[in-house]
Amino acid sequence: MIEFFNVSVKSKSKYILKDIRFKINKGEFIYLIGKTGAGKTTLLRLIYMDLFPTTGNALVDKYSSSNIKMRQIPYLRRKVGVIFQDFKLLPDRNVYENVAFALRVIGAGRREIKSRVLSVLTHVGLNHKRYEMTASLSGGEKQRVAIARALINEPFILLADEPTGNLDPEASRDIVQLLERINKSGTAVCMATHNYELIRLAPHRTVVLENGLVRRDIDPQNLHKL
Amino acid sequence: MNFFFLIKEGIVSLRRARLTALISVITICLSLTLIGVFLLAGQNVKDIFVRFYKQVEIEVFLEPSLSDRQIKDLKKKIEDGPQVSEVKYISRQQALEEFQKTFGEDLSNVLSENPLPASFRIVLKPSYSAPSVVEDFAEKTRKLAGVQEVLYQKEIITFIQKYFSLTILFIGFLAIILFIIITILVFNTIRLTIHARTDIIQIMRLVGATNFFIKSPFIIEGIIQGIFGGFLAWGLLSLLSKFVQSIIYPELVVASHLYLLTIGLGIAFGWIGSYLSVNKYLRY
Repeated sequence: MIEFFNVSVKSKSKYILKDIRFKINKGEFIYLIGKTGAGKTTLLRLIYMDLFPTTGNALVDKYSSSNIKMRQIPYLRRKVGVIFQDFKLLPDRNVYENVAFALRVIGAGRREIKSRVLSVLTHVGLNHKRYEMTASLSGGEKQRVAIARALINEPFILLADEPTGNLDPEASRDIVQLLERINKSGTAVCMATHNYELIRLAPHRTVVLENGLVRRDIDPQNLHKL
Repeated sequence: MNFFFLIKEGIVSLRRARLTALISVITICLSLTLIGVFLLAGQNVKDIFVRFYKQVEIEVFLEPSLSDRQIKDLKKKIEDGPQVSEVKYISRQQALEEFQKTFGEDLSNVLSENPLPASFRIVLKPSYSAPSVVEDFAEKTRKLAGVQEVLYQKEIITFIQKYFSLTILFIGFLAIILFIIITILVFNTIRLTIHARTDIIQIMRLVGATNFFIKSPFIIEGIIQGIFGGFLAWGLLSLLSKFVQSIIYPELVVASHLYLLTIGLGIAFGWIGSYLSVNKYLRY
């Protein structure tokens, strides 16, 4: 589903990622861990093709980084949901409009928008707050709105870049539980974090990045070695 | 493709960023007003020169022996020339009366016969006003049968021609400089309004909006700003020209297409400015 073939990313004279060989299988839940600057965000950006390898090739679904056309990128992004630490919500719109926005910009019809937004908001447990402005929500709720927006196009994978970075421990646990539920319904999840506590709480395959290299790729059973 | 969403999004964006939109509209309005004032000045300076040209006449004195028929034929021949705007026939009697009016002296008291010849007073079209062209025309007319002498104010024509060319060159140069400055100013203002909303562009890219879909609301917004700016400039120019007509210069001519041009330029500024600015943020 996603495969990196000797991918390197170089900025100026410094390698951000070096010779990455890495695979995410269909429906998998995977953690990317590593210190700040280890290359976690860069790796995620390569998946939604916000960035391209300096050398090597990243294969995402049917798209290859070496020959994807610029006009194909929006269509790839509709199949890859992304959430961030800072949520990236539109503060001047309510919950419903924030989620609907992702459907409106791809030209969906009004009826389809309504039914899909209500369904996904129910899924993330925010249907009752659909008319509230995002500014009035808690951090955990904001992240749920971001997740709902990322899921609205039914992506095959959800990329989460430090999604609990701005949340308290309880809200963080809730978000990880929600991500696990989403994963159980068939969507792959790739979450960058440095919260080891969360990994122990919800163990899954864990890839350790260090100075742009994949240092370890650990199965859930061996997480005690982390 | 949800066209109404794009229009709505453009209008909503305007409402959300009221202050920046207002600044943008005011910048477009003032810039267009300035361009309008310039065009108005240029047009009126040109009109003043044309009026000068109309006062410059070429006087063609006729042989006294010409019959009415011959005079008529000669007049027709001169009028048919592409350079000629107007030909006026002054009979010997009219010439005498004019002389009396100008000098206050009755020649018939001194001379037994009217010594003044009949003549044509010719006004050339402004586009044929270059001194060399006038000289050439005078030379050719002088050679026509029945023409005794051709006179015109060569110095005045040379003087007007020289200053007309200089003024037009000066206005043209200033207009180009002004246009470049205004274009940069307007485009930068629009760019600032778009820069303030890079977050929405980022989100649109993230959720898979195509470039067309991302650009459209911004371009619609730019066009709306341009239309508002254009209409405001129209109003301002109209007030300004009325003020000038009533207080300073009543002969001021305001061409109606100036206002349409203002709106058109406003739309073009808004459109191109927002297109270029949003493009800057549209890498994949």
